Amino acid sequence: MQLYSPLSTTPKRKAFRAPPLASIDGLRIGVLENGKLNAEEMLNEVAALFVERNGCTVRTLASKSNASAPAPSNTLVQVAQEVDFLLTGLGD
Amino acid sequence: MPAAATTSPRIHEVPDDLLAAIDYCYEQGWTDGLPVIPPVVDRVKAMLAADARPAETVIAHHPATGLDLSLHAAAVNAVMAGCLPEYFPVLVAAFEAMDRPEFNFHGSTASTGGSAPLLVVSGPYADEIGMNSDVNLFGPGNRANGTIGRAVRLILRNVFQMLPGISDKSTQGNPGKYSFCIAERSRGNPWPLLCETQGYAKGTSSVTVFAGGGFCNVENHGGNTPEQVLGSVADAMANYGCITLGQSVVILAPEHMQIIAAAGWTREQAQDFLFAHARRSVDGMKGVGKYRDREYDTQHGEAAHALAATGFVHRGLRPDDILITLGGGDAGGHSCFIPSWSRGRGSIMQHAAITNRK
Repeated sequence: MQLYSPLSTTPKRKAFRAPPLASIDGLRIGVLENGKLNAEEMLNEVAALFVERNGCTVRTLASKSNASAPAPSNTLVQVAQEVDFLLTGLGD
Repeated sequence: MPAAATTSPRIHEVPDDLLAAIDYCYEQGWTDGLPVIPPVVDRVKAMLAADARPAETVIAHHPATGLDLSLHAAAVNAVMAGCLPEYFPVLVAAFEAMDRPEFNFHGSTASTGGSAPLLVVSGPYADEIGMNSDVNLFGPGNRANGTIGRAVRLILRNVFQMLPGISDKSTQGNPGKYSFCIAERSRGNPWPLLCETQGYAKGTSSVTVFAGGGFCNVENHGGNTPEQVLGSVADAMANYGCITLGQSVVILAPEHMQIIAAAGWTREQAQDFLFAHARRSVDGMKGVGKYRDREYDTQHGEAAHALAATGFVHRGLRPDDILITLGGGDAGGHSCFIPSWSRGRGSIMQHAAITNRK
């Protein structure tokens, strides 16, 4: 008996990590809050720790209205130009 | 949607024994916990014949994983669910609607909120394929209702890998995650059918998809005015466990609809009443820890609906956030309310025409 697989035939997507930062001292931080309850407050607290411990500066706060979807490309492109690393949270 | 880069559908060789094939499907992790029909090649081809487009045509895309749903994969899962080929256009239309970003099928499936896509089929196609809009509306018992809804779930898990406990983190789950599919009742319906109000050409049927968070039976055998009947529905809609800015589905039982229709109420009047009365005071919301300034401001800001009363949090943003229609058996004062996914407007209901593309 021959059965078709019910899985997607899309080839597995290759995912890459960004190269690691050699140091975070003095870097510029972006915060991307995802609309979840207390996300902005918590991310800002985390950013404050980097400011205190590593002399970082918080450059921008961006928002996405849908925690379940990737941030819009234009949001990421714009933020990437202004910061060295981004703080965000995963939701769904 | 054009065909994306794909590999060929994989074939599994299994012994020529039906029960062994059913076990094989379990071992592969392809089921929803219930036995499936083994997706033999001939049955999949018969299902695909219900849509003349190339089998590799993509009908939905999952942004989170990059995985695509082809007609072929939809057909395989439809066979496994127990669908007949004539049900396939409904399933295809459902995913065409679910594919829109506003529906957000990923979030509504992955979430701890545990919603399941509710399908409401409207128009003559529901009758043509023998769907149930009558007694035991939400099941069990009808092959079309049961298997179309089931195929949706099998696709979500098998194609998009939304697996319970792994990428589907629903706290409590939801019986609708087995199957959640109904037909709108036309017999005795005093209002235009959904497919008519949605603007489709006469004779065109539609499927509406809604990320439904659960099922709440609304019993009222004593009320005999629209205000009494809908008052009990509004109270269910505003229960502290469900009240959010999200949308709602209300299915009125024939006994309840007779009371509302006898008073000459239109659908819009019913929606206005429900929106106005499905509310909780700000103090009450604060008392249970569910009040949020941002949400209140959204509801009462510049775009506030005239019926949104100051000092209250209403369910939804406006009356047309409430889909309301007729369904169920002739006997019984039992309507139902289905809340939206979780806390807000992360998924907005969508609809699509059912197209016979043989």
